[in-house]
Amino acid sequence: MLCGCNPPPFFRNSNSDNVLKLYNWGEYMGEYLIEDFEDQYDAMVIVEYFDSNEMMYTKVQAGDKYDVLVPSDYMIQRLMAENSLIELDLEKIPNIANLADGVKNLDYDPENTYSVPYFWGTVGIVYNKNVISKEELNEEGWNILKDTKYAGDLYIYDSERDSFMIALKALGYSMNTESEEEIHEAYDWLVELNNTMDPAYVTDEVIDNMINGLKDLAVVYSGDAAYILSENEDMGFFMPEEGTNRWSDAMVIPANAENPELAHQFINYVLSYEPSYDNSEYVCYASSNKEVLEEMSSENGIFYGNEAYLPRTDNENDEIFKDNATIRAKLSELWIKVKASN
Amino acid sequence: MKNFKRMAYPYMVWIAIMILVPMLLIFMYAFTVKGNSVTTFRFTLENFGMFFKDTVFIDVLKRSLFIALATTIICILIGYPAAYIISQSNGRQEFILILLVTMPTWINMLVRTYAWVGILQDNGIINNLLVMLGFERIKLLHTSFAVILGMVYNFVPFMILQIHSSLAKMDKSLLEAASDLGANKVQAFLRVTLPLSLPGVISGITLVFLPAVSSFFIPKLLGGGQYVLIGNVIENQFLTAGNWNFGSAISLIMTVIILISMYITKKVDKGEDSKGGFVR
Repeated sequence: MLCGCNPPPFFRNSNSDNVLKLYNWGEYMGEYLIEDFEDQYDAMVIVEYFDSNEMMYTKVQAGDKYDVLVPSDYMIQRLMAENSLIELDLEKIPNIANLADGVKNLDYDPENTYSVPYFWGTVGIVYNKNVISKEELNEEGWNILKDTKYAGDLYIYDSERDSFMIALKALGYSMNTESEEEIHEAYDWLVELNNTMDPAYVTDEVIDNMINGLKDLAVVYSGDAAYILSENEDMGFFMPEEGTNRWSDAMVIPANAENPELAHQFINYVLSYEPSYDNSEYVCYASSNKEVLEEMSSENGIFYGNEAYLPRTDNENDEIFKDNATIRAKLSELWIKVKASN
Repeated sequence: MKNFKRMAYPYMVWIAIMILVPMLLIFMYAFTVKGNSVTTFRFTLENFGMFFKDTVFIDVLKRSLFIALATTIICILIGYPAAYIISQSNGRQEFILILLVTMPTWINMLVRTYAWVGILQDNGIINNLLVMLGFERIKLLHTSFAVILGMVYNFVPFMILQIHSSLAKMDKSLLEAASDLGANKVQAFLRVTLPLSLPGVISGITLVFLPAVSSFFIPKLLGGGQYVLIGNVIENQFLTAGNWNFGSAISLIMTVIILISMYITKKVDKGEDSKGGFVR
């Protein structure tokens, strides 16, 4: 298992003037993806990395030019609404036929007019199976994060979206609620968690820390969880019945792209079998390629028996984020207050 | 003389573009909010209201000032003796000691702070050593201790260098005169060396306190996501929340606080000046 290591080198065979500027998440590409694409298309790829949609948005908004971005669902919705993306020419992306069922006809862009899924997954809880039982998790759901038995023993992902999603789901509301009252209840829920549980708010360091078994509970994206589970047998993955966020990150071409032609070729290339396999094997996130997804989770696949790899698609309570400017500002204002509240 | 003045023009242009324009932009943002379709922005004080009506932000501000103050005091306690020892040593030794103080600053601050994460974390060097020796793990990372440690580590060279430069400038014959007049070593230090080195201490305080109060990556890395200082709030407003107006308002409030504290240190400096009565 090779999941998540050094990012591929950029500025390699720099003799080509067919340049693609790619802006992707850190540690989100297979080992050979860029190299192989450069060789096959006689192109040069310049890669930059971001660690949050918001950071990516701020940079793109400030006028930086890229040919391909890989934002998440709600951010794509926002970019679409602001006319910041170009319509894709699907005839240049025949591999779109390879899409897995779970990433077809997504609400924010049902016809793939602007975006083509890259990875997808859910948010759940990684737990130490020797300390916490499945029964206990089923009984308490998200509220296990407020069980004082485990105070000081948990990681919360430092993201307002995911934290408010958890609070709203725990309270039985929709995570896309627009009700002030429900949001305030969720805020109180999070403040109480902050003040009684002594949580550590982390981002990617949660991966190494859970592999080393430093704590017994952690809120983790399913792809990172798949990696943790493959490295530490004591860890299990749990998605509460109350529902969770089903997210997808997809490739888009911004309106100010300088090489949309090559961008189309890149998107098509990523969707083919080998690059998809390389990506998913290396990064451990669920592939948007149907064949790869099925092969990896089947009996001979490398993720067979890994509860976190294949995203859940059969729970009615799971939702996809919708972008709402007012709520977005509200949540981020409240989140810094939650963290500063003790 | 006139020619020399003209040589300063490029510098003036530089100041205007690099310092004044950004300051004006921050000022603009701080007093406006995004408007509707008719006006692109409108003037308001609500960004400031948002900050002061909320005890959460005031608490964050207090915590930031406390951390910066603690950092500054510890930097003086470490920096003064270090600078004194350096200034007492002979030429070659002095050169090497100064080199040792400045050497860490050749490496990027962010990288050095990351190194502390590796040292302090739950399965880091210190904790592994403790376990090997048969002790319990202790929580070092994500504590106030870690944040202050990181700040002192990053900023103490500034303090040492400032104090050292004012100690090195000191005329040694003043100490001889003091002992001729019957002062013992302690008296000579307290009545001659200490007052003469105060300007160095004051500029050291400015160089440590200011970055400490607004630092955001040290609390982020060593304090963890739950350790919110004022710099983190500003960073969050710009990068995540996308509320540049509120972020600018907080920046402006910080600027005012910093100006006030600089004014106070200047005042203290002047006061010492007239009391000391030495000619510099």
